[in-house]
Amino acid sequence: MLIFLLRRLGAGILLLFVITTITYTLLYFSSDGIAQNILGEFATPEQIALKQAELGLDQPLATRYLDWLGGAVTGDLGRSWFNSEPVVSALLNRLPVSLTIVIGALLISAVLAALLGVAAAIKRGWIDRAVQLLSLAGDALPSFVVAIVLVTSLAIQAKIFPATGFVPFADNPALWIMSIALPITALVFQLVAQAAQQFRSAIIDVRRRDFVRTLRSRGLSEREVVFKHVLRSAAPAALTILSLQFVGLLGGSVIIEQIFALPGVGPLAVLSTTQGDIPVVMGVVVYTVIMVILVNLVVDLVNGWLNPKVRVS
Amino acid sequence: MKLRSRAALAAMLTAGALVLTGCGAGGGPAGGGDTAGPTGGTLSIGSLVDVTSFDPAASHVGHYMQYYQPVYDTLILREPNGDLSPMLATDWEYDDTQTELTLTLRDDVTFTDGTKFDAAAVKANIDHFKVANGPQASTAASIEGVRVEDADTAIIDLSAPDPGILLYLAASAGFMGSPAALETEGIISTPVGSGPYVLDTAATVTGATYTYTKNPDYWNPDLQKFDKIEVKPMQDVTARVNALVSGQINAALLDAKTAPQGTGAGLNEITSPVDWQGLFFFDRAGAQSEPLGDVRVRQAINYAIDRQTLLDSLLLGNGEVTSQITGKASAGYVEDLDDYYDFDPKKAKSLLADAGYPDGFDLTLPVNSADVIINAAIVQQLADVGINATQVVIPSTDYRNEIFTGKYSLGYYGIFQGDPWVAINHHIGPNAAFNPLKYEDETSAALIARVQAGDDDAAKELTEYITEEAWFAPFYRVNQLYFFDDKITVENQLQQAVPSIYNYAPAQ
Repeated sequence: MLIFLLRRLGAGILLLFVITTITYTLLYFSSDGIAQNILGEFATPEQIALKQAELGLDQPLATRYLDWLGGAVTGDLGRSWFNSEPVVSALLNRLPVSLTIVIGALLISAVLAALLGVAAAIKRGWIDRAVQLLSLAGDALPSFVVAIVLVTSLAIQAKIFPATGFVPFADNPALWIMSIALPITALVFQLVAQAAQQFRSAIIDVRRRDFVRTLRSRGLSEREVVFKHVLRSAAPAALTILSLQFVGLLGGSVIIEQIFALPGVGPLAVLSTTQGDIPVVMGVVVYTVIMVILVNLVVDLVNGWLNPKVRVS
Repeated sequence: MKLRSRAALAAMLTAGALVLTGCGAGGGPAGGGDTAGPTGGTLSIGSLVDVTSFDPAASHVGHYMQYYQPVYDTLILREPNGDLSPMLATDWEYDDTQTELTLTLRDDVTFTDGTKFDAAAVKANIDHFKVANGPQASTAASIEGVRVEDADTAIIDLSAPDPGILLYLAASAGFMGSPAALETEGIISTPVGSGPYVLDTAATVTGATYTYTKNPDYWNPDLQKFDKIEVKPMQDVTARVNALVSGQINAALLDAKTAPQGTGAGLNEITSPVDWQGLFFFDRAGAQSEPLGDVRVRQAINYAIDRQTLLDSLLLGNGEVTSQITGKASAGYVEDLDDYYDFDPKKAKSLLADAGYPDGFDLTLPVNSADVIINAAIVQQLADVGINATQVVIPSTDYRNEIFTGKYSLGYYGIFQGDPWVAINHHIGPNAAFNPLKYEDETSAALIARVQAGDDDAAKELTEYITEEAWFAPFYRVNQLYFFDDKITVENQLQQAVPSIYNYAPAQ
């Protein structure tokens, strides 16, 4: 188990290295105008040259990358070129907001999807058709459209929820819940739609297997068969979907954070990319890759726990 | 729409006149609007941008002003109508050569850390501003240094006459921070100024809400119309309109598509033309694209553009067509030039034929990836008179820098309509960034020299000259659509993307 973990971590670090190298190289080729972006339209060539020297933009790619990498391995991701804020603190300030939305949406959608999936697979009939229909609708409606509908109806018309903004949990737990309710609901809608469908198919598939027939023939109640055995076998497929959705959410929440003016990683990613704030862009990339690696690791571990066969392989 | 923008303009002018008369009679410290009236409550505004650093040397103009004005006073205050009034400097005077600017300073101002404001503080700030190389550093390019004459008198030495310097001292270059805090790390997140408000760091969430509370020792309580000010960065226009319509904020800038939602919710609207949009002819010498070196070709393109249709279809009429790059408030504005080029494809074709291009010609048009629709319209209208434009799409983040390299002979852009000297430094003069091929001729050089010496007639002549010579093909002035609720009153700020913070007041 330990070797399995170490191998996964090793692969993750390698992945992190490869992705950051590629990203840094790509950014290098579009870094000509950054000093001009910082200094504005009136800047003289001398000012631009000065700023380029200050930022190290006059250095060759290898020097710049090694500089960055040297800092990154010691946990120092540098400072934003535009506001001198340390990248690590910029990320740490914004991470709680983004992770609250993403993890909140994922947990709620996992529970809802499991319930709907089981109901659809076992009862079939109208529930099944309703779940299918919901899946179709969820797939067809992007989360930002759902978000706008939610804001218009529940925030602007009914005035139940705030239309924008984020209240930290420590400030006021009740307002915190109100402030994240709509963004999470907007994300959950699409997530549930996809995951419920996966749960349903996996459960239907497992219920047809021989071992289920054997279990039934030994006199186990249907409830026991489904919740003790079928779900356990059907879970890996659904978990994989959830982990993929998490990765998708890291991107999808960017738009949601913009619509709700949430101070998450999303607006930071958008702003730093459009400005060419390379240290911040790199910070966002590192954060995203680490999240993806972590989630995959957790999913592998849970799958191993659910299904001993995976551990062997 | 036309009527409404006229009404808004009339209101703006009346308000400006009121301020003017107020100043002339009293001569006291300026107040950016009414000084009487109710005070108190909270002002909450949504902003298109997020503040990057509270270091005054890192400050920017336009949308960013609202983050700095609560905490930093400027040396000079720019009134809503554009007039300059005393703020930290009570008086200013040039010498005969226009290169020595003497500022008389207030002697009763203290920064919020207890440091006294004096001439040495002015010197420390301007020195810091010049070396910190912030986004507005070039506005202090003509400043050679500051001399401390005595505690209340500072002399700014200029390398050459700079008609823009007083404006700059009313903006970024004029923000005064405590000299004790300027070179410290802390000023990035915690501003230390002498402004009407202080940043409440406990109630501030970076990237979401910046909360300002009254500065208890402020020297001019007239500028403290609210107990609290919140500025909320909301880059997304959907977030702004939702926050505004649901009452979370009192005021924000919307756009042509979201404006009907604002109007429908019964909000008040200020429209003011801040930018002009149109084609820039960079290659007026015809070095890269020979036809553009001929004034008749540039005029032909001006006649080929159907400005009104573009305005109505792309901006839903939120603007006014024009053939000049100068705004109505500028000393260089010439009313007759607004309709100098009408839409006349026949005339365009005959001008092209006169210039020796009866069958048109080919040119390359760089296209900002954020502006593909208008560029498609431009290509179509050019094609209608026989000009075949090949589009080269450039990612919007690189577009400006790409056209600055001088690779392209023309390009579409939207740009701020400043005062004559600001516009010259920005897109007319030989050193302007938006004149990448550094084009100038004898007439323009002579007129620019006269503008630099402070001659307003020369500014008008320059506008006439570059309009007739078709240095640009301006399409229209674009209205900024600023919306606010009934709890506050707002006065427009001339030539600024959003109103100055002093222009907001609680409603009666």
